[in-house]
Amino acid sequence: MTEVPTPSESRTTSGMIDPAALMKIRSMELRAKGVVQGFLRGIHRSPYHGFSAEFTEYRQYSAGDDPRYVDWRVYARSDRFYIKKFEDETNLRCHLLIDHSRSMGYGSIGYTKGQYAGTLAATLAYFLFRQGDAVGLATFDDRITQYMPPRNRPSYLRRLMAALEADPQGRATDLGPPLQRLARMLTKRGLIVLVSDLLTSIDWLESDLGYLSAGGHDVVVFQVLDPAELNFDFDAPALFRDLESGRDMYVDPPAAQKGYKRMLEAHLDKARTACRRLGIDYHLFATDRSFDLALLEFLQDRMRRHKQQVRRMRSATAGRRT
Amino acid sequence: MSFLYPLFLAGIAAIGVPIVLHMIRRHTRKRVTFSSLMFVRTTAPRLRNRSRVENLPLLILRCLLLILLAVAFARPLFSRQEPETVVRAGRRIVLLVDTSASMRRTGLWGQAIDEVRSVLRDVEPMDRLCLITFDRSARIQIGFEQWAGLDVSQRAAAVIDCLSDLSAGWAATDLGRALVAAAEAVEDDEVHDDRQPVGPRQIVLIGDVQQGSRLNALHAYEWPATTELVVRPVESRGLTNATLEWVVHHDRLTSPDGSEALRIRVSNSSEATTEQFQLRWDAHDARTEIYVPPGTSHVVQVPPPPDPSATHRLILSGDDHDFDNTLYIAPRLQQPIDILYIGRDDPNDPQGMLFYLRQAFGVTSALHARVTSRRSDGALRVDEVATAHLIVTTDVTGAENLATLRRHIETGGTILLVMPSAQAATMLSALTGGGRIELQEADIDRYAMLGRMEFAHPVLSAFSDPRFGDFTKVHFWRHRRVDLAGLPDVRVLAWYDSNDPAWFEVPVGSGALLVFTGGWHPADSDLALSSKFVPLLYSILEYGGVRMGTQAQYVVGDPVPVTGPAGPQRDVRVRKPDGAAVALDAGVETFTQTDVPGIYGVESAGETTWFAVNVAASEGRTDPMPFEDMERLGLSMKTPGPAAIGQVAKTMIHRGLVETENQQKLWRWVLVAASVVLLMEIWLAGRLTRPATESQGEQP
Repeated sequence: MTEVPTPSESRTTSGMIDPAALMKIRSMELRAKGVVQGFLRGIHRSPYHGFSAEFTEYRQYSAGDDPRYVDWRVYARSDRFYIKKFEDETNLRCHLLIDHSRSMGYGSIGYTKGQYAGTLAATLAYFLFRQGDAVGLATFDDRITQYMPPRNRPSYLRRLMAALEADPQGRATDLGPPLQRLARMLTKRGLIVLVSDLLTSIDWLESDLGYLSAGGHDVVVFQVLDPAELNFDFDAPALFRDLESGRDMYVDPPAAQKGYKRMLEAHLDKARTACRRLGIDYHLFATDRSFDLALLEFLQDRMRRHKQQVRRMRSATAGRRT
Repeated sequence: MSFLYPLFLAGIAAIGVPIVLHMIRRHTRKRVTFSSLMFVRTTAPRLRNRSRVENLPLLILRCLLLILLAVAFARPLFSRQEPETVVRAGRRIVLLVDTSASMRRTGLWGQAIDEVRSVLRDVEPMDRLCLITFDRSARIQIGFEQWAGLDVSQRAAAVIDCLSDLSAGWAATDLGRALVAAAEAVEDDEVHDDRQPVGPRQIVLIGDVQQGSRLNALHAYEWPATTELVVRPVESRGLTNATLEWVVHHDRLTSPDGSEALRIRVSNSSEATTEQFQLRWDAHDARTEIYVPPGTSHVVQVPPPPDPSATHRLILSGDDHDFDNTLYIAPRLQQPIDILYIGRDDPNDPQGMLFYLRQAFGVTSALHARVTSRRSDGALRVDEVATAHLIVTTDVTGAENLATLRRHIETGGTILLVMPSAQAATMLSALTGGGRIELQEADIDRYAMLGRMEFAHPVLSAFSDPRFGDFTKVHFWRHRRVDLAGLPDVRVLAWYDSNDPAWFEVPVGSGALLVFTGGWHPADSDLALSSKFVPLLYSILEYGGVRMGTQAQYVVGDPVPVTGPAGPQRDVRVRKPDGAAVALDAGVETFTQTDVPGIYGVESAGETTWFAVNVAASEGRTDPMPFEDMERLGLSMKTPGPAAIGQVAKTMIHRGLVETENQQKLWRWVLVAASVVLLMEIWLAGRLTRPATESQGEQP
């Protein structure tokens, strides 16, 4: 009987969580809990302003401002129109887009990319739930196979975790159709987290992600790759079978490694460049990388992005006053 | 052992494939499932240990299978003789040169001589050659023996000299007969000359090989497989050739005045560049325009010649070649026929036989029959009897007349004796020279009919067709019974239904006496009213030596019967179109020297009859014959060219090997062995691959 470690036991001596140990925990929710421990509530900011108790802006009304934001009590007292804006921490709507194509079923270190991606998504979901954000889920291969709209209820989190525990059963990866569909479905702006190996033609990636970005969504991309995919360090010639297409190919890895790495690097560069152009946060994760590092990286990016937004708004307000 | 197709042995090199695969398998047993191969390019197998192969028995079986298949395809055989022996043997070559009328086209004969020279340049001293020229018949000009007897340096010159003395003639082409003659000449030489080893055989055909060449003779001839035909065609520059042919009226006897228009078929060659032609009579300028598209033929009506009794030529113009543009029309002359009737009948009395005889022999365009009647009790003139083509006697006549008539029969004449009464027995006895003949009136209940007929006899052969052979409607009220026992060599033509002979023939000397035991006048029978009566009389007339309705149009080379109106025993001369006269020997009834087109005259006893000889219409079909037509008849064709003749030796060796291989068929045994090896391989491979190995997500 294998001994299942607790989340606290999964931590290494450096304090980071060992993914291999964590993946042995059967419950996805438990895995997420373990990762999220230690992170405090309220680190990130909502991507857009809503109705919250904490003001971020209080200024005189000017033509073009939304009348909903007029402070009528001040108007009653001073007979002047003032606009109030709040820092809202609870109205974030997050969609987790998880790639369930066949290639996500590959794994060389005891668990698959799909399992890693699921755990990563569960971690993010749990974290966001704890902050009071609504989290939804969409899985896709070359189409959307499952969709759960964003909610923020404890029972919904369990359903979400159960959905994430399912192994990828899909077909080949094709980002275009699912992203286009999602862009049509999501009318309200929010955070979209795409977790995929992006092992598809990169030529259309920019336009595919552009559908979401152009819709005003805040998009984060996690590209998840197995260490064997990054290094291609197989030692013996073998007949390689493509998981997505099923075709066989004789490959001598030492001879093919150089070309493989060159092409992979070019592929990753293209993805990175496309995301940068669209203002999308891009993170590449090897599946042996610790989840809390991934979460930390994610949150750091979110904070950096939030500060940029605040800076942009303040400079815009100052410009309007002058 | 040798191989029929040794190049297939190169297939043995394919055994490298299983060897390499067996080495590769050592490294490819491992299967790795990978997420995506979009960044991987296939690499050549890297063989780390070339000296080691996996599963040696399986490898050996697979290699053996490939070797056996290659050997089977190469068709192995055990040679019975060394091919070199065949190579050393001299070739037998037949030069077949076309001298038909179509070779008269401009430049063709010169081309043919050049082709002959070209062939002769490749002939080696050890080769045997035969020169045959042909048109409708083949003629050996220089035989194999004659060639072998010539000095080596003189052989080619002898062939050229021979051909220089010849030229294209006017006859039609019978290519099939010529090819058969050539093939047989080669085989005869092999049989008769056993000193020369059997070597390659080749027939080199030099001519225009036009579509009008007949190939019928090849249908009944199995072309020897080892005899090769090389065609070296000569080609004419002008592509338009129209030819004309008289579509002869089959029922010429019905148009006695000869006023009807001639129907002329004009055919144009398929590659012609001209479609408009003209027809005119030689002595007149009036032209008939005719439009004939390429590859088609049209029949036009041409006005009859101005004078049907004169010789005429119908001339076609407008095409490139004129060798077949003249149609000779023989003068339309009626043949006078003298019929001598001996009896007491009034010519106008329908109760007598003469009345019906005169009605039967009317005037036609071919015949002008003159019926002369003489009373039986008067004396017959000898010259009158001698010049008569047919004598009909229906009454008892005197002894002197009987002697005259008997002499007439003995010299080849024909007499029809109709026995009017039982008293005619003495006549029958006198004319046949037999003894006493019993003759009596038959006792008939109502009527008798003809029960049995001898249709094989020339007189009745015209009725041999079942449609015309029913004589049962002819009723005989009276007839005479005759006992034929006293008549030598008698041949009965017809019997009554009472088994009494009705018509019979008694040969006398070189002539014949035909006897009817019942007449055709109403008192005896209704034969004269039957549709059979007139054909029967004409048939008897023809049996007597008169040729009626004979075709006066012939083609070059046709034998022409020339007995004519003068009979076979007369002095006959034939005058050819060039004016030369050819005297026919006694007893010769056909003229065979119809070697040029034109009008021929047959002169005999001061009378001249004419016949026309034309170029055969088939000779005008000058379009090249497709080689496939000859190949379809089993000929082994070779593409023409100077190099072809040099390839014969190789071809012969190959054919010899094919024959040997066909007899041995070793490839079947090799295939059986290959099948056994294949079964073993399947069994062994099945055993070895039973535990299938496949891993998913294998770690590096």
